[in-house]
Amino acid sequence: MTKLSMKERYHLLTRDLDWTPTYVAPEEVYPHSRYEGIKIHDWGAWEDPFRLTVDAYCKYQAEKDKKLYAVIDSFAQGQGHLGLSDASYVNAVKLFIQGVSPLEYQAHRHFGYLARHLDGAGARFASLCQSLDEIRHAQTQIHTISNYNKHYAGMHDWQKMHQRVWYLSVPKSYFDDALSAGPFEFMTAISFSFEYLLTNLLFVPFMSGASFNGDLATMTFGFSAQSDESRHMTLGLEVIKFMLEQDEGNVPIVQDWIDKWFWRGYRLTTLVAAMMDYFLPKKVMSWKEAFELYFEEQMLGGLFPDLAYYGINPPRHVAQAQAEKEYVSHQVYWILYQYTHAAAFNTTIPSDEAMAWLTESYPTTFDRYYKPLWDKAKAIEAGGGRFYNMALPQLCQVCQIPMGFTEPGDPGQICFRQSEYEGELYNFCSDGCQWIFDREPEKYVQAWLPVHQIYQGNCGGATIPDVLAWYGIAEGDNLDYAVSTDKTSWDEWHAKGGN
Amino acid sequence: MTVKALGPYNFPPADRQELFGDDMLVHVNWDGNLLFCAAACFRAPKAMTWGDFKAQMVDPWAAGDPDYDPSRTKDWRLGDVPFEPDPNKTLAEMGVRHKAVIKFRD
Repeated sequence: MTKLSMKERYHLLTRDLDWTPTYVAPEEVYPHSRYEGIKIHDWGAWEDPFRLTVDAYCKYQAEKDKKLYAVIDSFAQGQGHLGLSDASYVNAVKLFIQGVSPLEYQAHRHFGYLARHLDGAGARFASLCQSLDEIRHAQTQIHTISNYNKHYAGMHDWQKMHQRVWYLSVPKSYFDDALSAGPFEFMTAISFSFEYLLTNLLFVPFMSGASFNGDLATMTFGFSAQSDESRHMTLGLEVIKFMLEQDEGNVPIVQDWIDKWFWRGYRLTTLVAAMMDYFLPKKVMSWKEAFELYFEEQMLGGLFPDLAYYGINPPRHVAQAQAEKEYVSHQVYWILYQYTHAAAFNTTIPSDEAMAWLTESYPTTFDRYYKPLWDKAKAIEAGGGRFYNMALPQLCQVCQIPMGFTEPGDPGQICFRQSEYEGELYNFCSDGCQWIFDREPEKYVQAWLPVHQIYQGNCGGATIPDVLAWYGIAEGDNLDYAVSTDKTSWDEWHAKGGN
Repeated sequence: MTVKALGPYNFPPADRQELFGDDMLVHVNWDGNLLFCAAACFRAPKAMTWGDFKAQMVDPWAAGDPDYDPSRTKDWRLGDVPFEPDPNKTLAEMGVRHKAVIKFRD
């Protein structure tokens, strides 16, 4: 038997195995692919970025896994965690395992669903491969980070925390919103917005942060996922172009989804912004620089001029995100700092050196709006206290982040937006989140807002210890870094003559 | 616009007024003071008087800022509509609704 080319093998083993149903109508076999209003005339036009067969796919991934597990085993055996820049770096890893890894698993599940429910064989196969990638990413992340869990707080109950804890409802609700949409909207949300438009803002900061701060293990799973991620990016762009090319009537639907999922995704990245500017002991670059490079240059400068050919405009509300690059990381970390008593990571007042870096990185905003807040927090500490906000915060109905964002053009004034729907009031942090609610109020009235659920008695009880116990947050997971078990352990491990 | 769905799509709000019985959620923001990162959210009886609400809920929270002086609060607004607080009126009588936002300055 002559050896087949890769292209022939792909065709025979994926697309050629497809058939057209004759006993039942296609819409009965694929009932989920039509109700969103997207019209597809020729599924054969799908250009598959995964030109792989299952056997080739498994071979490549097995090789990558072998390399990764060798590195993480050696990192663990050599006590590699002791070589980190500082134990406070591990707070970024905590945010990752609590907030991001569960999303990989959800993506695995939902791409499995798409692998059943899309009409075209090429699209189904792409979804199958991505589903496998996502479970591999979840597993490698869990395996890598389990080593940190042996030595540091905050990582012992991340699955439970992801379901329950207030700041983790931000990434969870983003994904739930996508999972409960139709297949084409899901692909716009996850393949396009999450994996293409914002991927470099979501993942690169974690991986570069790992590299700058001596976390070889996390860096290695980042590398191991990189070739998969570039395929996912290609798929994200292919999905959008495929929809736009198939029918002119798809254009306004896709534009609406891009508008919605840009803002949803952007709000989610503000947690990464806080991580970059405040969690990392050794800074990679500022959020502002990352936003300018990865979003303004690459997406607004590169992608959207290409999409203009199809009649697609830059996302609605993008100007607000651009204005916020000057201050959003400070606002989000300020939220995390004052609610650290209810979080499974530690925060602290930035050191003098970090404060100088913030002043330099944000010359027009930091000293004017945020340094005075830190000065006050310092004064409270000097008096023997620590500033914790003792009331529950108002949450945005859509992004679910405490409403600490400010009015366009005025970083001194909290932004309030409100809509009334069927006799009830709903509050939002921004025009973007209000616009998303007003398009589909029936969806967002169901939002599981942590603060409102606590007040309904659905989160373990009425006191902070009750709620923390229900969250799975144990002693040592929360509070200021200065009094954390991580800092105590780190100081002991590095004490002169210590072991 | 409404949700596009395969079947009927009608689900009750997860935090509708009836779930809170005789209470409601009330938001309070100290305008111009970013120390508190966001407005506070309180669960309060509709029949609670303004005086009790301020003394039992707003003051203890705002006192987290050492510069807070309960006697210096002013410029009260419900949403964006100014009002003159009357300590003997109930929240409901003042027109405060479930999930409304009250703002003040000092």
